[in-house]
Amino acid sequence: MNPRVTAAAWGLLVTAVQIGLPLAVRGRLPEPMATHWGVGNRPDGSMPFTRYVLIETLFWVLPWVTALAVAGTGRALEHRQGRIAWWGGLFGLGVFAAGLNVSTVLANLGAAHWTQARLTAPHPLVVVAAACAAGALAAYLGRGEPDVLPAGHREPPLLRLRPGERAVWVGHVTNPWLALITLVAAGGLVVLGALSLVGVAGGQVAAAVLPALVIMLAVGLLTSSASVRAGGDHVVIRLGPLRVPVRRIPLAKIESAWAEDRYPSQVGGWGVRGLPGGATIMLRGGQCLVIAYRSGGRLAISVDDAARGASLVNALIAERVQS
Amino acid sequence: MLLTLDLNDARPLHEQVAGAIRRAIGEGSYAPGDRLPPARDLAQALGINPNTVLRALRDLRDEGLLEFRRGRGVSVAGPATGAVAGRALLVQRARELLEEARRYGYGRDDLITILEELP
Repeated sequence: MNPRVTAAAWGLLVTAVQIGLPLAVRGRLPEPMATHWGVGNRPDGSMPFTRYVLIETLFWVLPWVTALAVAGTGRALEHRQGRIAWWGGLFGLGVFAAGLNVSTVLANLGAAHWTQARLTAPHPLVVVAAACAAGALAAYLGRGEPDVLPAGHREPPLLRLRPGERAVWVGHVTNPWLALITLVAAGGLVVLGALSLVGVAGGQVAAAVLPALVIMLAVGLLTSSASVRAGGDHVVIRLGPLRVPVRRIPLAKIESAWAEDRYPSQVGGWGVRGLPGGATIMLRGGQCLVIAYRSGGRLAISVDDAARGASLVNALIAERVQS
Repeated sequence: MLLTLDLNDARPLHEQVAGAIRRAIGEGSYAPGDRLPPARDLAQALGINPNTVLRALRDLRDEGLLEFRRGRGVSVAGPATGAVAGRALLVQRARELLEEARRYGYGRDDLITILEELP
């Protein structure tokens, strides 16, 4: 099964539903159509037919084209984690987009005016549940073979420690784009605060942009930079410019460490990706420090100079085992 | 950045840290233009005062091994070749050799003589 052919066929099918379904029943839809329902399933938002078709088609086509482009680079589907994210996302989002479209059209069907379009209660729940189920099934079917260990793991890098020497390794990584987002969010909050003090910005404006700015700031503070340190009897990972949160991993829990190249396309994007036991802290594509736990789990973090860090971790483990 | 400190070293701490950074750059883990980890991270990892690390970094900047740029932190100076790092490593090795020579009672001139005798 060629993933790109399957993805192209699936994408065309969903696109056909997105465009074809509203067109097929256009005569029975009100103009404008109800497109949003508030509390108690009362319609509170509407759109002209053409704009509705355009928006719900793009809602699917843009992620689909992105997924095809990601698969085209060839790196995304090398790892099981990447395949799971890719297949799950593609089919989950496809079912979600088509489901939204179908339930919107059904609600509008036969209504004389958009304010009379009634959405039956279980519809949104059914759409979300179906999307999750389709995503999970596609991820399971597309997971492929387990990852083979990289060559580096078969011979983990080693370092000789001389007696009477204290060795520490410090790795650091900053993603300038994420740092910029953080700065923009912080600046926006300052400007907003100043304007509201002066009384220029009303409460409505603040309420509209405040949540987005706060979320941007929080995400930026967590993921714009990371600092990893190995030495003594811990590996310590600190995230963000504030160096919190902190993750301390005792060396006693680590089996070995190595360096490996990983990319956001393989792990499903930036940030903390994957599941516990196979997570990647991805700030930028390229060299990552991979830590294998004795329990079988793994943790990877994108950081500069990872090979040297791995060699020190292995040396410290060997030293502890000997002593 | 892998830093090793000798626990029996009697030299001032900032000199030891400068030596450790010189070695780390000389080993080739940081190429010219690469950014070093922030001083506060280095200090925290070594369990010493950040000012000691900053002093070591300033010494290395005065040697021409590092450059400080506003907003870009500290990075390895030099052309896009390993020449600077190589020289840094040689300087570091020479310092260590001189230390060892002094322990055996040989001075700088004795060491130069030994070097000259080599083919």
